[in-house]
Amino acid sequence: MTFAQECVIPVERERLWDFLMEFPRVALCVPGVETIEAVDASAFRGTLRVQVGPIRLALQGTMTVEEQDRSAWRARMRAEANDRRMGGGIRARMSLTLAPGQGGTRVHIETDLAVLGKIGEFGQPVIKRKADTLLAEFARNLQSALAA
Amino acid sequence: MNAFDYRAPRVVDEALAVLREYGEDARVVAGGTALVTMMRQHLVRPGCLVSLRDVQGLSRIEATNGALRLGAMVTHREAEVSPLVRERLPVLAETFRRVATVRIRHMATIGGALAHADPNQDPPVTLLALDARVEVRGAGGRRELPLGEFFRDYYETALEPGELVTGITVPLLAAATGATFLKFLPRTADDYATVAVAATVTLEPDGERCREARIALGSVGVTPLRGRAAEALLPGERLGERVLQAAGEAVKGEVDPLSDHRGSAAYKREMTAVIVKRALTQAWEAARRSARGTR
Repeated sequence: MTFAQECVIPVERERLWDFLMEFPRVALCVPGVETIEAVDASAFRGTLRVQVGPIRLALQGTMTVEEQDRSAWRARMRAEANDRRMGGGIRARMSLTLAPGQGGTRVHIETDLAVLGKIGEFGQPVIKRKADTLLAEFARNLQSALAA
Repeated sequence: MNAFDYRAPRVVDEALAVLREYGEDARVVAGGTALVTMMRQHLVRPGCLVSLRDVQGLSRIEATNGALRLGAMVTHREAEVSPLVRERLPVLAETFRRVATVRIRHMATIGGALAHADPNQDPPVTLLALDARVEVRGAGGRRELPLGEFFRDYYETALEPGELVTGITVPLLAAATGATFLKFLPRTADDYATVAVAATVTLEPDGERCREARIALGSVGVTPLRGRAAEALLPGERLGERVLQAAGEAVKGEVDPLSDHRGSAAYKREMTAVIVKRALTQAWEAARRSARGTR
């Protein structure tokens, strides 16, 4: 499934970009991320706890940064993670662009997500809803991290 | 289904101790109507089930100060047929009567249904319209919170790890108040609702105008919802066609249904307006009868 999301963070684009590209630190702003460590300069390993409907997942996997283009204000990431107990997982490609927005910087995220195994049964509307909730919380966490 | 430990404590504190011991690996089981189904589907794989079946004191229905208190292990069927509930809060008994089938109602418990937090369930809708409060116990002691703050997201609640629901307190209706629960079921009588609506209407002392109305909605969002924008249109009004139409329109903006085999999001939104108007009409008429009866 593919979906697009947006949020506005009330800081200038340069500062937001620099913060967002600092991966281990920014990952901790993602709700549910429990651990994150660098494998090399562009790959990271970590765990994410997330609840989708009645299913509680502990996803373990990696995220790889495929592109970081400051001149175009665009970054592309790929994530693969599995829940060993549930026997399912996710594969995601995300593209993130920053544009000037009203009262700050507009973050536009496009996601191509494949959900494997049991969680996939919950259907697209539920998973999209969850992604929106996570983004809203991520945006709040970013704001407070940037304000600190 | 996976192998799991099974504990059946006799007191709440012992249940809480087991929850601490197993952490997130433990799941509390009451009637099992939801959890066991999910375990069979391998959606949930607990390492330990903590059954509340033998816990003392969780199955009482009592009249307290202006309210009814129902223990977490009261089954839907017990609430449906309880003389106390039927006499003091008939709308609540009627709501429980509409849940699924009698076999499920004999097993499913009030606390289990709340903790499960499936937004398609019926009782939370009426309980929300009645301003019920949930009682929760955990290692930190006992706390109580309004039902509106209890549901957080799709199947997610304000329960912290290691906490469990022990009961619910439901205020009785004020004087000159009517209450109703309607469930729109285009498929079968034992289905989940396509839209469920509970409404209460309380009249001004003159018995001619609405003083306060509460509207709660089920199956049209990730949690049960209050239709607050619609509620705000009603005080001071006689609930005639014009006002009801406006309330129906307002409520469409407050719901956020998911498209599924019970209907598209657009269809559910339209039907919410229809059922809200119907529910308000019935609650208004019941309130008028109640006001006439007491004067």
